[in-house]
Amino acid sequence: MKTARLSPEIKNKECFHCGDKCEEIAVTFDQHSFCCEGCKLVYELLKENNLCNYYDITKFPGQSAENEQRSTVYDALDEKGVREKLVRFEDGNLSRINFHVPVMHCSSCIWLLENLSKLKTGIISSIVNFPRREVTIDFEKGKIKLSEIAALLSAAGYPPSVSLGDMELKGKKKRFNSAVLKIGVAGFCFGNIMMMSFPQYLSAGDLKEVPQLRSFFAWISLVLSLPVLFYCASGFFVSAWKAIRFRTLTIDAPIALAIAVTFLRSVYEIIAGSGTSYLDSMSGIVFFMLIGRFFQDRTYKNLAFERDYKSYFPIAVAVRKNGNEESVGVTNIKPGDNIIIRSGELIPADAILLSEKADVDYSFVTGEANPVRKFRGEKIFAGARQTDGAIELEVQKVTSQSYLTQLWNNDVFSRHKELENKTYLDKINRWFTAGVLCISFGAAIAWLFIDKDFSLNVLTAVLIVACPCTLLLASVFTNGNVLRWLGRNHLYLKNAAVIDRLASADTIVFDKTGTITNAGEAQVKFEGTLSKNEMIAVAALAAQSAHPLSRRICVALAESDQKVNVRSVREIAGKGLEGIIEGKTYLLGSAAFAGVSAQTERAGAEVWVAVNGKVRGKFIIHNRYRNGFITVASLLRKNYHIELLSGDNDAEKEMLQPVFGNEMYFGQSPEQKLVHIRQLQSAGKKVVMIGDGLNDAGALMQADAGIAVSDNRNAFFPACDAILDGADFKSLPALLSFTRIARKVVIASFTISVLYNLFGIYFAVRGELSPLIAAILMPASSFSVIALTTISVKFAALRFKKT
Amino acid sequence: MTATSPPIEKFAYDNTTVKWFAYATITWGIIGMTVGLWAALDLVFPQLNLGLPFTTFGRTRPLHTNAVIFAFVGNGIFMGVYYSLQRLCKARMYSDKLSRLHFWGWQFIIVAAVITIPMGFTSGKEYAELEWPIDILIALVWVVFGINMFGTIIKRRERHLYVAIWFYIATFVTVTVLHIVNSVELPVTFMKSYSWYAGVQDALVQWWYGHNAVAFFLTTPYLGLMYYFIPKVANRPVYSYRLSIIHFWALIFLYIWAGPHHLLYTSLPDWAQSLGVVFSIMLLAPSWGGMINGLLTLRGAWDKVREDVVLKFLVVAVTAYGMATFEGPLLSLKSVNGIAHFTDWIIAHVHVGALGWNGFLTFGILYWLIPRMFRTQLYSRKLANAHFWIGTLGILFYAIPMYWAGFTQSLMWKEFNPDGTLANKFLDTVTHLAPMYALRSVGGVLYLAGVIMMTYNIIKTVRAGSFLANEEAEAPALPKIYTIHGKEHWHRWIERRPVQMLIAALIVVSIGGVIEFIPTFLVKSNIPTIASVKPYTPLELEGRDIYVREGCYTCHSQMIRPFRSETERYGEYSKAGEFVYDHPFQWGSKRTGPDLQRIGGKYGDVWHYNHMFDPTSMSPGSIMPSYPWLFSDKIDYEVTPKKIRAMQILGVPYPAGYDKICVEDARKQGELIVANLKKAKVQEVEPLSADDEIVAVIAYLQRMGTDIKAKAPVNDTATKK
Amino acid sequence: MSAIFILIGVSLVVASGFLVAFIRAVKSGQFEDEYTPSVRMLFDDELTPRKENTLLQKENKKEKTSTNV
Repeated sequence: MKTARLSPEIKNKECFHCGDKCEEIAVTFDQHSFCCEGCKLVYELLKENNLCNYYDITKFPGQSAENEQRSTVYDALDEKGVREKLVRFEDGNLSRINFHVPVMHCSSCIWLLENLSKLKTGIISSIVNFPRREVTIDFEKGKIKLSEIAALLSAAGYPPSVSLGDMELKGKKKRFNSAVLKIGVAGFCFGNIMMMSFPQYLSAGDLKEVPQLRSFFAWISLVLSLPVLFYCASGFFVSAWKAIRFRTLTIDAPIALAIAVTFLRSVYEIIAGSGTSYLDSMSGIVFFMLIGRFFQDRTYKNLAFERDYKSYFPIAVAVRKNGNEESVGVTNIKPGDNIIIRSGELIPADAILLSEKADVDYSFVTGEANPVRKFRGEKIFAGARQTDGAIELEVQKVTSQSYLTQLWNNDVFSRHKELENKTYLDKINRWFTAGVLCISFGAAIAWLFIDKDFSLNVLTAVLIVACPCTLLLASVFTNGNVLRWLGRNHLYLKNAAVIDRLASADTIVFDKTGTITNAGEAQVKFEGTLSKNEMIAVAALAAQSAHPLSRRICVALAESDQKVNVRSVREIAGKGLEGIIEGKTYLLGSAAFAGVSAQTERAGAEVWVAVNGKVRGKFIIHNRYRNGFITVASLLRKNYHIELLSGDNDAEKEMLQPVFGNEMYFGQSPEQKLVHIRQLQSAGKKVVMIGDGLNDAGALMQADAGIAVSDNRNAFFPACDAILDGADFKSLPALLSFTRIARKVVIASFTISVLYNLFGIYFAVRGELSPLIAAILMPASSFSVIALTTISVKFAALRFKKT
Repeated sequence: MTATSPPIEKFAYDNTTVKWFAYATITWGIIGMTVGLWAALDLVFPQLNLGLPFTTFGRTRPLHTNAVIFAFVGNGIFMGVYYSLQRLCKARMYSDKLSRLHFWGWQFIIVAAVITIPMGFTSGKEYAELEWPIDILIALVWVVFGINMFGTIIKRRERHLYVAIWFYIATFVTVTVLHIVNSVELPVTFMKSYSWYAGVQDALVQWWYGHNAVAFFLTTPYLGLMYYFIPKVANRPVYSYRLSIIHFWALIFLYIWAGPHHLLYTSLPDWAQSLGVVFSIMLLAPSWGGMINGLLTLRGAWDKVREDVVLKFLVVAVTAYGMATFEGPLLSLKSVNGIAHFTDWIIAHVHVGALGWNGFLTFGILYWLIPRMFRTQLYSRKLANAHFWIGTLGILFYAIPMYWAGFTQSLMWKEFNPDGTLANKFLDTVTHLAPMYALRSVGGVLYLAGVIMMTYNIIKTVRAGSFLANEEAEAPALPKIYTIHGKEHWHRWIERRPVQMLIAALIVVSIGGVIEFIPTFLVKSNIPTIASVKPYTPLELEGRDIYVREGCYTCHSQMIRPFRSETERYGEYSKAGEFVYDHPFQWGSKRTGPDLQRIGGKYGDVWHYNHMFDPTSMSPGSIMPSYPWLFSDKIDYEVTPKKIRAMQILGVPYPAGYDKICVEDARKQGELIVANLKKAKVQEVEPLSADDEIVAVIAYLQRMGTDIKAKAPVNDTATKK
Repeated sequence: MSAIFILIGVSLVVASGFLVAFIRAVKSGQFEDEYTPSVRMLFDDELTPRKENTLLQKENKKEKTSTNV
């Protein structure tokens, strides 16, 4: 610190570390200015270890290192139970751990994080996976503790996010490998089989004179087709089988059928020596369909949709045991434990406050950012965040049984929406398949009369050519493109199925705080006259109430520490607050309560102030709604039935009346929200829930599609089907209606593929389906469909841009 | 076990080998291009061969191709690989000994080539002219390279194999196989061998090799270099790494099949031709994927390109790659190929690739590497810029005239008079093109001048700098144990994989080797069913060997395609069955002179006699050089019996024990020709004797295509079993 | 066309060799991270940090971060 000096003269300079504007008082340290001590410390750290390349690779690579946590936060990592759960791998003295580091963002980050070994001995090597924002660290467990590594990371400005969730997450890693493998193998076999099939297509006559060559090709392609059938295409057979067992018909069933038939037919041909096999077409469609599926399912690696409260709760807390505190894994705390929570930490379980007062906010639960004051003996629910100072509480319930978290014991969290309600595609497909089967058997029967031995040929031929693979391609590529477009507009869907569910929705339910309001931002304005002392008095009075409006007033009139004692406080629910301060009687509440003759209510809540029965003015409190919310709502109302489902009281009911009419429900507990959605659904509605808080988690899960609004993708959002960037809230209607485009496109491309199929069927029915025709039809239809979907979605996207 | 060993290992990159290869690249570049220039001038001033065999186009051209491909580009590849591989693996090359062995071995091979090719020791197959002892040497040195490379990969400190490394691996494996398969030949003497395959089959193998040589020697390694050096130079990650990975695998799975497009309209079965076409066209996708990826890497950094000469070179290189890979599929379309094949269009096409893609990429790398290794700045950016511009100009001056020549040539060949006769004598087309050839050599001069400027620039830079032989570096060792999705024992193979790759490579090679012997069992299938096609007489055989030795195939094709314009000009189109005794095939790929397939009996012996001594005497304006040495040198009848025996092994049906009497037969036939010439009162350059090489040549020329001449088209079943 | 057998045989063997390599590589997670390696290769691991190393433009910070979404 001695080297650093405060230097008022450097104004508005960019911080050498993070590039933020330096305030009046910047810290300078060898000719560089820093916005804060934190940044300077990081710089010092790197300087000592001669890692200043960090600053060469990218300009301002750092993140503002302000409010970096106390290193003791990570002590819990060394706790045996915790440690075992987190460490990915151990061998002798060497261990490996994966840390999720949300803040990494540039080459410098990668460079620094991969040079950790130069920062501390004991770290052997570190490898970054940037798309996953993950760093994998090999270290010698003898030389360095897990907590030290974590501390080091956060000291370097890359605090790892370690949470209860990581301990379960261990081991189950994303496996896109098999998909890639299948595509690779299919592509390889397809290419080579095609090459083997060429003699057939062109100048078969040329080959007749070289019979060995002919069968040589035939057999090789047969060998090559085996992996395609048994490995690459396995997915289709499996899901087809599942579907049949569930007495349903997914598109995979007819595809599997077609593949199987094609293969068998070809095998027969090859053995019979006619050598005209359709194996090339078979491996072709498999190849293309795999690509399509892959393209569609490539979603956002670094967004976790499955997260529950565990991902945010600390993995350990400080527990006071006979005087001295030690950190205990959250899973191990029992009712009766005395836990110590420091400012900024979450309260991991329902507990009774032992300290005499605490200011906690439920931003995490409801999105409501304004702190609520609690006093000794009050109950604080898990998920509340202590805002300043350390407090001590006595645990009442274990985490998993706490008021909020027990929500996750509800079965909605263990169900798979994908398996339920059939997608649009399947509906189309049912008809399609029926049609195909009719035609093929019809044709076969017809041929029975014309030429017996030919009818089987025709039957199989029809099944081959009428494979709905193009239909599948149509939908997957459409979905893929739609997903990407939505992503580009900051609506991130969990998977393609969500598109369909959004498209078919008819009801939209909003959570209030944090969803349609900007969390915590409210403006409080006083109209009237109050002396400074009276102001303080009012503030003191307001401080007595937990009512959000009074909370806001408190916050607005920054409390002075000068003590004012309030006597005989009365709070009349739904009316207001009364109290005597320094001999004066203060009334704080609705107009009527304060004794104002009724008058037209204006937007925003009003809190009137009367001193000794004399009305002195009013506080006008505006809740900041997300910009454009009103228009959004009115737009949505055109096509949807919209409702409000809010966790807190109805203070703003009148205010929201014009938007939601009477479809507003306040003071809803998490379960109530969930149940409400369920009721709507049982009333046959297709519901989209839009929420942000942990208390919406149940509703989001229950809804056909749950959209979490989040202002910072690295910060909290509950498990959901889609994530909407708060900044883009206004484009919600456009985005929703875009999902409907997908259907139109699918239908369009479907008709095309049907045309192709008919064309093919024409040959098949007449028993003239040559491998060449099949081999031409297959890619032709596939490509034109792919092209069509891609182009039309792009086109639609352009139209949307304009509107 | 890393856990106990110090986490961070210090080591040093070996720059010395890189430096050597760099020097070799430059040296051989200059030599190869100079020879190329000479060859080009040979076509403008035939006298330039100075009446010497060594300086005749038929020998300078193979020397040029071999020098630029295997010496210039070859060393360039090794330079780039030895530099980038070490850094991508965070490890020094596996063994300095092997590095040295590799370097000197390769240089020795080149020297051997530079000596043997002018002396006329050639297997007569394009881009594979080197004779069997050198072929073996190449295989050995190549394997040394392989071991060194895989060894480095094994002891690497960076787990991920950067895409460039994949390209290097592909290069090694494939080139090994190609080389072995193509150079299966039956040695006759120390410096003479016959290709194991005959005629159509030889052609097929040769162009399978020929195309893939382009693919895997001139393309894949350079793509690897592109993926390393462009990001390095521009200091920004490649545009899309995912794309680059797809690029690699797509290329690998497709390239191997594209070969046959070099044989369109030949006697190769249609389906094989079409196969080549389709796969060549499919290649467009990955190739352009790569190009776009390379160029987009520089998006938003074009300002850099403007000031940084190295980037300029790289950009032009990648663009040239794009053009060449676009033109390739185009040329493989039958219709286009019908026009372009055998003309200078092809020459233009390959030189766009060679001068632009390979040349410029190499130069760019050199300009970037040398100052780095010598820890100094480039001596003169100005000069480098000048090189860039003059080089680009050179490419234009080379390509445009050649394209022009190609089109004209083709049009003139195919032009008919209203009365259905051909509009142009072949000679007219040749004389007509002379100016283009002259212009082309101007292009060559410019390009070469650029290279010399570079050499000067680099020498100066080297002088100024201090060479860093061993570049210190440090990196954590790759943990021996590794988890992939917590799978057990998987990690063993992580370090084992390179070994496996090597083993796989060797297995592939050996299988390749085993398959080599299949021909011995299949030779039966080469026995013709065109009854009239007979083996060459000993004298004709000798004549043919001379034809091969003099590299006549570099200007004359022996493949009449089924076009009216060609059958009108040369006669009945070629049948696969006619070539069954041709070890090696001599179809050629270029018609600077007319096709010779049916030359037999077209002119008298005297005509040939005079024409070989002074072509212009028979066909004024001809740019064919004169071959005076054929008139003094004698046929070496010592080897003739050996040759006959070799042919017998290859399945040519000479009667048993024919080798005993073959020499007499040869002499008899020779005497007849001599008598024939004497009768025509030819004035003798040298006193005529039946042992003169010229006699053998005449015998061969007069025999060519006569077997089925003046017969109704025979149904083409020669090679069918 | 005996040569065809040879060529196809050899080509197939080579190709399968690469297929094996491909499968191995994918299994070992070589291609799981399709971005970081392209950045990693830019770093020089010399002992002495070089200064003349030109700065990357700020805008491609954004490009990079956006690549994964």
